[in-house]
Amino acid sequence: MAEQVHLRLTHVTKRFGDAVAVDDVSFEVPRGSFATLLGPSGCGKTTTLRMIAGFYEPDAGDIELAGKRINNLPAHKRGAAMVFQDYALFPHMSVRANVGYGLRLQHKSKADIAKKVDDTLKFVGLAGLGDRQPNQLSGGQQQRVAVARALVVEPQILLLDEPLSNLDAKLRESLRWELRALQQRLEMTFIYVTHDQDEALSLSDWVAVMNAGRVEQAGVPWEIYYHPKTAFLADFVGAVNLVPSTVREVRDGTAVVSVGSANAPVRVPAGLSLASGAQVRLCIRPESLQLRSPSAAADGQVMVPGTVARKAFLGDLMRYWVTVDGREWIVDQPDPGAATPYDGAVQIAIRPERIHVIAEP
Amino acid sequence: MRSLQREPVLLLALLAAIALVLAFIVYPQIQVVLVPGADGYVSFLQGGTWTLPLTNSIKITLLSTTTSVLLGFVFAYAMVYTPMPWKPFFRVIGILPLLSPPFVVAAVYILLFGPRGIVSYGVFGQSPSVFGLFGVWGVQTIAFFPFAYQLIADVLSRSDARLEQAARNLGAGPWQVFRSVTLPLSGPGLGAAILTCAIYILEDFGNPQLIGGGFNVLPTQAYSLIEGFGDFTGAAAVSTILLLLALSLYFAKTSLDRGRSFVTVGGKASSMPRPPVPPMLTRACFAACLALAGLILLVYGTLIVSALTLYFPTNLSFTTIHFAYLGAHATSLQNSFIYSMLAAIGCSIFALFAGFMVQRGTWPGRRIFDFLLIMPAAIPGIFFGIGYLTAFNQPWSDQLAGFFGQPDLRAQLIVIALLFWNIPVAYQAITVGLRQIDKSIDEAATSLGASSLRGFRDVLVPMLGGSVQVGFVTTFVRAVTTLSVVIFLFTPRSTTATITIFQLVNDFDWGGAAAFTVGDVGMAIIVLVLIQRLGGRLAVTGFRGG
Repeated sequence: MAEQVHLRLTHVTKRFGDAVAVDDVSFEVPRGSFATLLGPSGCGKTTTLRMIAGFYEPDAGDIELAGKRINNLPAHKRGAAMVFQDYALFPHMSVRANVGYGLRLQHKSKADIAKKVDDTLKFVGLAGLGDRQPNQLSGGQQQRVAVARALVVEPQILLLDEPLSNLDAKLRESLRWELRALQQRLEMTFIYVTHDQDEALSLSDWVAVMNAGRVEQAGVPWEIYYHPKTAFLADFVGAVNLVPSTVREVRDGTAVVSVGSANAPVRVPAGLSLASGAQVRLCIRPESLQLRSPSAAADGQVMVPGTVARKAFLGDLMRYWVTVDGREWIVDQPDPGAATPYDGAVQIAIRPERIHVIAEP
Repeated sequence: MRSLQREPVLLLALLAAIALVLAFIVYPQIQVVLVPGADGYVSFLQGGTWTLPLTNSIKITLLSTTTSVLLGFVFAYAMVYTPMPWKPFFRVIGILPLLSPPFVVAAVYILLFGPRGIVSYGVFGQSPSVFGLFGVWGVQTIAFFPFAYQLIADVLSRSDARLEQAARNLGAGPWQVFRSVTLPLSGPGLGAAILTCAIYILEDFGNPQLIGGGFNVLPTQAYSLIEGFGDFTGAAAVSTILLLLALSLYFAKTSLDRGRSFVTVGGKASSMPRPPVPPMLTRACFAACLALAGLILLVYGTLIVSALTLYFPTNLSFTTIHFAYLGAHATSLQNSFIYSMLAAIGCSIFALFAGFMVQRGTWPGRRIFDFLLIMPAAIPGIFFGIGYLTAFNQPWSDQLAGFFGQPDLRAQLIVIALLFWNIPVAYQAITVGLRQIDKSIDEAATSLGASSLRGFRDVLVPMLGGSVQVGFVTTFVRAVTTLSVVIFLFTPRSTTATITIFQLVNDFDWGGAAAFTVGDVGMAIIVLVLIQRLGGRLAVTGFRGG
């Protein structure tokens, strides 16, 4: 299927009094994709979602769904069902009545409703729980009811506002994969809002990171993770080393930058113009680094000598804090049981292609 | 506002609601204030007939509020803080007076202590003058301490037991805890309760009318000016003064209410028990509550005995003639029931819609609308009644009645008056209820395809059951027990139980009055119990006669 824009925001702005909640936001979401708005609290992600749902009206800009401008369409006619953070189940209705509510509004026949409700409950793994009241369900089950209630009306687009944040960590992770599988089976466009970068990166086809009302960067998860445009982004989506550096020389899209006392050739990211002598930040993920003994040979990698300051055993990896010229670097070593942990003097080995350059903020 | 334009039904309903509020809350009150005119006010103020009722009103409000709050506080403290026995019994005792017209106490007082009273004359052979300041003071103290108790108990029970336990844990004694934790935290709430009680007493019409004698207060002065002299100008001016007093008390109360929000930070009452109080204190509280309960039982016992005896207190032979009389004149009781039912139903529906529009809507003017809906809480019943009389007792209303083929529209007017006079209680109950329902519930309905009115009907209204019940019961009880709102509006066709009781007391027909009171209170209790059976929760604060 050709990629087709399903949801498009152009120059959307929303103010609350003097505060600008969403500031000139534009993006496109392809049909059938799992799209995530990621950002810290107050960044405007939920406001953006609520404008798509129709609960807020944008002060400027257009929202288009399937090529139609929906700015003036009342919320209840948009076909954009929503799953809420606290599920917002109707406490006075049974699970069955909750899920069937949207269908009742569509004036479907009783038999139709009963069948579709049962099918959907089975689909989300709640078969047999239809006669329960919401308060008789666990958090995870309530969350499934909320999803079923939204899916059963066959919305054009499903909006999810931090749907997993009220669950405990284990459940959150297992429901995460279920949601992703569900979306792929239905090939439905999901717009997902979260502040949890793990969730965003692991679930999404497309992520927009928002900060202070603006979209800082949008794209596929690994692009954002490894090639963030700003230091904020780099830091927000995961642990990172942001090392100050100087550009030595620039040639043919490659720049030579200082790494400690050594130099390394790096690719110049698109949209970034560098001149020799410029101050930049090197963005290197901890898992892209390796530790070596002080005497180990360079082997085509850039070697930076340092001292292990402390370390933490995280199970799947050992995290080291290594002091280099008075700065601490984070280095993650996978499979920490395979060798004796490092201590004292070490070398950090960096493959130059794992270094990403960010303009000094 | 733009979203309102997209839902024309909602917009029309809102406009209708605004029109009703303007017609039945704003217009009549403005009428009363404007009736005397500038010249009228000047000559009235110069006349000076208002100074004595004004000082009397202030005096009696201060006295009666102080004593009834003291008694109410003891009762409330005992109920909330001590493990004294017989609490369910005391709880019933505390509710009983709220279900009867407050002037019942005055009537019983005359029976017991009046010139031919069973205690004064029967026991001591005296015919003392019991009318006047001291009579009113004593009677209002007994009549209003249960209101004070309800209000104060509500405040005290919200104070967080965990904080008190913490203070005890840090080494404070019971008295220190009370002084340094409970009192500062519930101070604003207690202040608001006291002021609410003061408004009730200031507005009280029945008690001063029955036993005030020459002791005139503002409500009785307004009444006698109209009934005795047909002096609308004077009555309007007097009740405007009364309104100003009530309003200043009311605004003082709302400013205290604002400061009290931190008491309810936790939201729910915690399940932790209160720290223990010394056994001596519990015993003293129990004794005090027994004495107060004895007084209340004496009032209602006297009532029942005089309803069942030939001529209380001189002829105590058993009879059912008073109840036979009640049966023969049941129209007024029936009217009370019908009017109050209709008012309570109308009030609940109106409050539901208004609360929804104010809490969930974003339209200009909703703050003003909110204010207007709360207003009647500060309007004395007597003022409300005079307002309706001035505004709607017009030639055009007779023509309107003629158009409908009715001799008059007073019954309808009484229902409307009771409805809008009681709007604040029902409206505030709905507002509190709506605030506890997260907005995402509405939005969930909307995102599934429900218009806001549809979502309101399907989702919010069923969830607001408890609040509707509170509003309904309170409106009903206040409507069956009010005298002052109805006293200017009734006609012989549309007389109510409280009016009949009042007239019978004035005619010294104690037996009939007692029988009617028993009937009226019985009706209120039956409705209360039925509603409670239906809905499951009993809410008593906010009741008021008047």
